[in-house]
Amino acid sequence: MQFKTIKEINAGLVSKKFSAEEFIKDTFDLINKNKVLNCFISLNEENALAKAKKIKVSKDSHLLSGIPIAQKDLFCTKGTKTTCGSKMLENFNPPYSSKVVDALDAAGSICVGKTNMDEFAMGSSNETSFFGNVHNPWKKGFVPGGSSGGAACSVAAGLVPAATGTDTGGSIRQPAALCGLTGIKPTYGRISRWGMIAFASSLDQAGPICRTAEDCSILLDAMSGYDSRDTTSLNLDSTNTFADLNKPYENLRIGVVDEFNIDALNRESQKLFNESLKVFESLGASIHNISLPNINQSVPTYYVIAPAECSSNLSRYDGVKFGHRSLEAEDLESLYINSRSEGFGDEVKRRILIGTYVLSAGYYDAYYKKAQQVRRLIKNDFEEAFKEVDLIVSPTSPSEAFGFGSKGTQDPTELYLEDLYTISSNLAGLPALSMPHGFVNGLPVGIQLIGNYLEESMILNFANRFQQSTDFHNAKPTFEGF
Amino acid sequence: MDDQTVRTICYLSRLRLDDEKSKKILSDLDTIIEMIDSLSSSNTENISPLYNPLEETARKFNDKIKSDNNKELFLENAPESDENFFLVPKVVD
Repeated sequence: MQFKTIKEINAGLVSKKFSAEEFIKDTFDLINKNKVLNCFISLNEENALAKAKKIKVSKDSHLLSGIPIAQKDLFCTKGTKTTCGSKMLENFNPPYSSKVVDALDAAGSICVGKTNMDEFAMGSSNETSFFGNVHNPWKKGFVPGGSSGGAACSVAAGLVPAATGTDTGGSIRQPAALCGLTGIKPTYGRISRWGMIAFASSLDQAGPICRTAEDCSILLDAMSGYDSRDTTSLNLDSTNTFADLNKPYENLRIGVVDEFNIDALNRESQKLFNESLKVFESLGASIHNISLPNINQSVPTYYVIAPAECSSNLSRYDGVKFGHRSLEAEDLESLYINSRSEGFGDEVKRRILIGTYVLSAGYYDAYYKKAQQVRRLIKNDFEEAFKEVDLIVSPTSPSEAFGFGSKGTQDPTELYLEDLYTISSNLAGLPALSMPHGFVNGLPVGIQLIGNYLEESMILNFANRFQQSTDFHNAKPTFEGF
Repeated sequence: MDDQTVRTICYLSRLRLDDEKSKKILSDLDTIIEMIDSLSSSNTENISPLYNPLEETARKFNDKIKSDNNKELFLENAPESDENFFLVPKVVD
């Protein structure tokens, strides 16, 4: 039962090789045997088994009917604890479910639990979670990436075929890359943010992490669509990427960004990147060098905008209406200060302080307004580039998975640079996917495809064709050291 | 960041830094500010800020009372409440 894709599980359910109830029971056995990975914060065993018992899957059922899915623990789930990886929300039981949870539930999938993550999605290694580090199934003591680290780990270990994630600066694509998986962040506004605990509202976007582009397409189609409760939701029908998987996209032009300076990567990563370009050419694509002149300002731009939005969004945690409340408070002011100081971890505090600083009088124009102006320059660069090419390719992450505590402990910006290649598509709101394309030092690495607005079908189609020609997505983790 | 700025920012954020951690966090903040200072090298003359990647999508909706605005349900998550209200320490003597 381990390592099956959605399509394989669906075939087993339709042919009655196993029932949904049997499959879900096996899933929980697997999850319980792999607790050392620490990829789940809470499990939903009773409800999941009750739902599985009722499900009868036929060839007319939705492909997600009876499929176990792990939800990142920042999607509100009515009746199931939703912590966002924080002490602040350790005991929070949402009074409603997010649109993503409801949509996947309506499609017949079964939520087996809530996955571990960096606190409030702030991190690239899953080391900021109040609930402890998550191990990369490829190597014990190594990070799975973040912030959707638990989600990626649960799929990479073969416990579930699919997990939901969110991506503010690379939090779907980077963990997918570090765990040997496929993950897509769609166009900003494609998936409703209703019930998704906010980090940086103009950057946050949900998406799936799966083993294959085909499975990502099944999930994306179910998760997307207009929702009037999210004021930035695009007024468009759900995506139809699954039907488009075999559509012939002829003569695609693929851009390699000069400023990403591929030559500066280590030799092994360069070799993998160039080999993947050759596969792209064998699929009928042509490769072109392009320039995105302002792209190197993406990281500083992001680390002004994201903390600014975070400091505003996280001001709601005051110890009054929900979340952690200090027992030490003497008056209202100390209730706020003590509750927030006790409830938030160091990385969240760092970002709130930076955000408050760049928004404060005297610094607003120099930092916040300036960053939003540079953001427009970055978006303009992409718009120019997409006149010349159909897709843009880059590595997903500068390196493979690394050991716990080995990056960012002395200098936090070292870890921020993990998102060098992924951040710009959040700033511009563009869809982007990561898929596995080889190994460095025995650990998986990913390649990123960025598309123009609303071109999720083209991205997934091309990734699917790449996966029909390569075998990297079928590699299973070695569980080294476990 | 000088001491006065740090005190102001901490107060505005309603955060207190422990003595043992504050040194490290403040040095981290300086490193981050040094990184974001590189934005000043970009020429943004006559460039309007982009606050939302798809500007045209932000919409308003009417603030109507709906059946899912359930007071009892929301109060269940309150650290302290009575039948109808969130409770906080005494504000006025």
